[in-house]
Amino acid sequence: MTDLRDFEADIDRILTRLERAASFADIVAQRVSGQGIRLDRRSTSPSMHARLHGAALRAWEGSHWIEAASSDLSLAGLEVAADGIERALEAAPVRSDPPGPSSVTDAEASTNPPHPVSELGVEGMIALGKDVLGWATQVPTVRDAIVRIGWSDEERLYLNTAGARTYQRVTRVEGTVVPLAFEDGRVEFDFLGEGGVGGRECLEFLNETRVKEAAESSRSLLSAKAPPTGAMTVILDPGVAGTFAHESFGHGTEADQFVRDRSYLKPILGQVVGPETLTLVDNGAYPGGWGTIYFDDEGNPGQRTVLVQKGRFIGALHDRETAQVLHARPTGNTRRADFLSRPFVRMTNTYIEPGTWTLDELVKEAKNGVLLERATSGIEDPLGGQMQLKVKRGRKIENGVLTDVVTSMALSGKVLDFLKGIRGVSKANDFRIEPGYCGKGHSDIVPAGTGGTYLLSDAIVGPA
Amino acid sequence: MSAAPSSVPVSYRIADKLHLSAPWEVFGERARRYELHFNGRVIELVRGPLVVEGFGVRVFRTLGERTATGFQASTDTSEKGIAHAAEDATQIATHSDFPAKKVDLPSAPPSGEVEAVDAKLWEAPLPRLREYVDALLAPFDSIKDAVPSFGSVRATLTETSIANSAGLRTTYPHTTIELELAVKAFGGPEGVPPGEYWVNQLTRRIDPEDAGDPVPSWCSYAEDARRAHAPPTGDLPIVLPAHVLAGILPSVIGFRWTGGARLRELAPATGTVVGVPGLHVTDDGRFPWGPSTAPVDDEGVATRKRTLIAGGVVDELLYDLLHAGAFEVPSSGNGLRGLSFGYRDWLRFTHAPAPGSTTLVVAPGTDGTDAELAEIAGEGIWLQQLGWANPDSISGAFGGEIRIGYRIRNGKIAEPVRGGTIGGLVMALPGTPSLLSGLVAIGSKAKLVDDLSSPTLLVKSLTVAGDAGGGSISAGSG
Repeated sequence: MTDLRDFEADIDRILTRLERAASFADIVAQRVSGQGIRLDRRSTSPSMHARLHGAALRAWEGSHWIEAASSDLSLAGLEVAADGIERALEAAPVRSDPPGPSSVTDAEASTNPPHPVSELGVEGMIALGKDVLGWATQVPTVRDAIVRIGWSDEERLYLNTAGARTYQRVTRVEGTVVPLAFEDGRVEFDFLGEGGVGGRECLEFLNETRVKEAAESSRSLLSAKAPPTGAMTVILDPGVAGTFAHESFGHGTEADQFVRDRSYLKPILGQVVGPETLTLVDNGAYPGGWGTIYFDDEGNPGQRTVLVQKGRFIGALHDRETAQVLHARPTGNTRRADFLSRPFVRMTNTYIEPGTWTLDELVKEAKNGVLLERATSGIEDPLGGQMQLKVKRGRKIENGVLTDVVTSMALSGKVLDFLKGIRGVSKANDFRIEPGYCGKGHSDIVPAGTGGTYLLSDAIVGPA
Repeated sequence: MSAAPSSVPVSYRIADKLHLSAPWEVFGERARRYELHFNGRVIELVRGPLVVEGFGVRVFRTLGERTATGFQASTDTSEKGIAHAAEDATQIATHSDFPAKKVDLPSAPPSGEVEAVDAKLWEAPLPRLREYVDALLAPFDSIKDAVPSFGSVRATLTETSIANSAGLRTTYPHTTIELELAVKAFGGPEGVPPGEYWVNQLTRRIDPEDAGDPVPSWCSYAEDARRAHAPPTGDLPIVLPAHVLAGILPSVIGFRWTGGARLRELAPATGTVVGVPGLHVTDDGRFPWGPSTAPVDDEGVATRKRTLIAGGVVDELLYDLLHAGAFEVPSSGNGLRGLSFGYRDWLRFTHAPAPGSTTLVVAPGTDGTDAELAEIAGEGIWLQQLGWANPDSISGAFGGEIRIGYRIRNGKIAEPVRGGTIGGLVMALPGTPSLLSGLVAIGSKAKLVDDLSSPTLLVKSLTVAGDAGGGSISAGSG
């Protein structure tokens, strides 16, 4: 097997069979390959991405969707899944069309970087990893580092009974280094990690200067103080700002939550939620973004959707069903984690667009507070409108100057209060999109990019 | 326990077609998954069967005092697919390097049975799931102003099998059920926004008989979230029930107490005091109905109980085959696959094993009921739900936003709190406050939640960040 399209004739045959039983059906087939390495001072562990492939079959029952899936892409394997669908459809009360517009897109797209990471081979990745380990451990107290480098090629083929056919191959590349600093029985670490859709250029950040900075940061955390505690002025670094955009605001704009009446944002669509300097978008077509997709899992192109424009909340993310209910168009945000997972409205690359401030100006404006750096996680509260963001480190802000390094923190607050409190967003030269993994609830993990620049507002902060 | 096995377990079939000169193991799974997704009382999506059959093959090469391993997983069980996976694994092994002097593959099948299969679910998955969901959602019919707003139940029926070049052939069935449910409370005075309580459970079995029992409590938490305010700022006594601890303890103890942590100088030394004298923690791979309970670990080694903390003092560590080989000790039966992201991937065959904890068991103490623990606390906070504790396995730091909790005043549960953060360290160097060393009281009754069985614990103090300016208070107990 060289290509997922080698299975297309059998997949198409199964779709034709489903078309006889249902008013609408679609199939998403998936295949993934890739390589990675993980190394530290004591061990080297290369790996290959599992040889995984399979297909999800979906048909409209008249009132809800029926799905089955198989990890066997042979005609016999697909027929077992189709049998399951047909049995469920036998009890269907009426044959009716599913809600929303069906895609009729017929297109293909692939990531074709000039220098694919696959050219490095396992040997090349190990050699780079050993360089990274060497640079990190040159910093005093840093006795070890965990280095991970990897790439994956993911193919998806989408076919539906309305005539859509999309094929995509997305190549994602990711690298991280976690320098471990030891002193007097204490262990601390910071980390450096980037990723994107592309080739070897995605790993250029793993250079001596950046790695040693991360190692020095690990070392600095050994003597860092506890963070300040309570309500205060905060500055979010670009990664933390991106996590805010995704977790705290973005999840509330997934329109399936509107349909469930489970979004604190639904009643305020069209209203001003922040200052004019605030523009927030989701962009599945962002070149090289970690969350970039060429097509979603309903056959619609990945695209840019403005959620907040100059402070006004103007848009939401849609699949075919929410588009029908809310009189909108699908926005290319229907995603399955894999062929075994259901489709949901999901984000792609979600970010806050740059403003006009410099970091120095934001620090001076803050006067006193804390700068939060290195997002480690966040979690949504789509109905309650609260926020939780966690970071690995920070810097105190005292009298308009960055001072002591402080240890890990959590940030909390009401999202709408936080947005209203935004007093500045920094310039484009600070902008970056970071790689992350997003769950819908506690499962269905998909790659999602989060980004922005430095952002000044107010929130509650405490050690965590 | 009864479950209809497939004709020949996956790993046996693969093993029969492997042509490898180096030692090897095959971990195979045949899984069927069924899911019901609902919006309110309406089923919006029925999924299943989602059928997956796959395997992971690992080869071992001895390089003097070190060992190389190569692993590859595949869903292609054709002869060609098996050959490709074996070639990949062999090739990967040529680049691998690990300080294990030798690897002793198990050969003896395990003895004794474990409780890990919901027999009724196995026999009729979708009808049983529907029955369960109907029972779960039925109480909402009689509860005013509360609805399920988002939810799913996902049942996985798996036949796991392991074979290796030492002659081991073993197989066992197991079931897991994941429940996710968001409960919304609304109505009442105009202008008061709705509140939500979010339920996530991982179990081995379901019972429609009692499925709806906790629903009134969940609705109360959602309703209380509507009138809650942020807590004051300060270091306070905190009561942590088992379902909150399940998001904290396994991530930290399940890493720091392993050969993997020991190899990287991150494990506590045996004999180190890490907790109060009343603290006893074991790892039990055969805990009845534990989500990780199995007769063998994911490398085929028989599971059993291990003492991790005895009287507050570090006792044993947990090993898989490779790390056992590095320290020349036997595997403890803790080679597990798919541990990542704070949850366990149901496609375990796609992962190589690593050491980790199965079910952590905190022994009950003698300090009584939850109400009695609140009484001991005097002043403080009962933490009902954090946004996400997301512990840092290396530093032991944990914490997050309070999604719903309650003030404890004069030894009684009082008004709800929401917003602000609670955080601290699970374990720390002597002289630095931590959860394990700061326990004031240990409840008398344990509860199994996900991979943790624990009583409710009262911690002397954790740091609370709230927004009641100037209202800081200090620990009032211990």
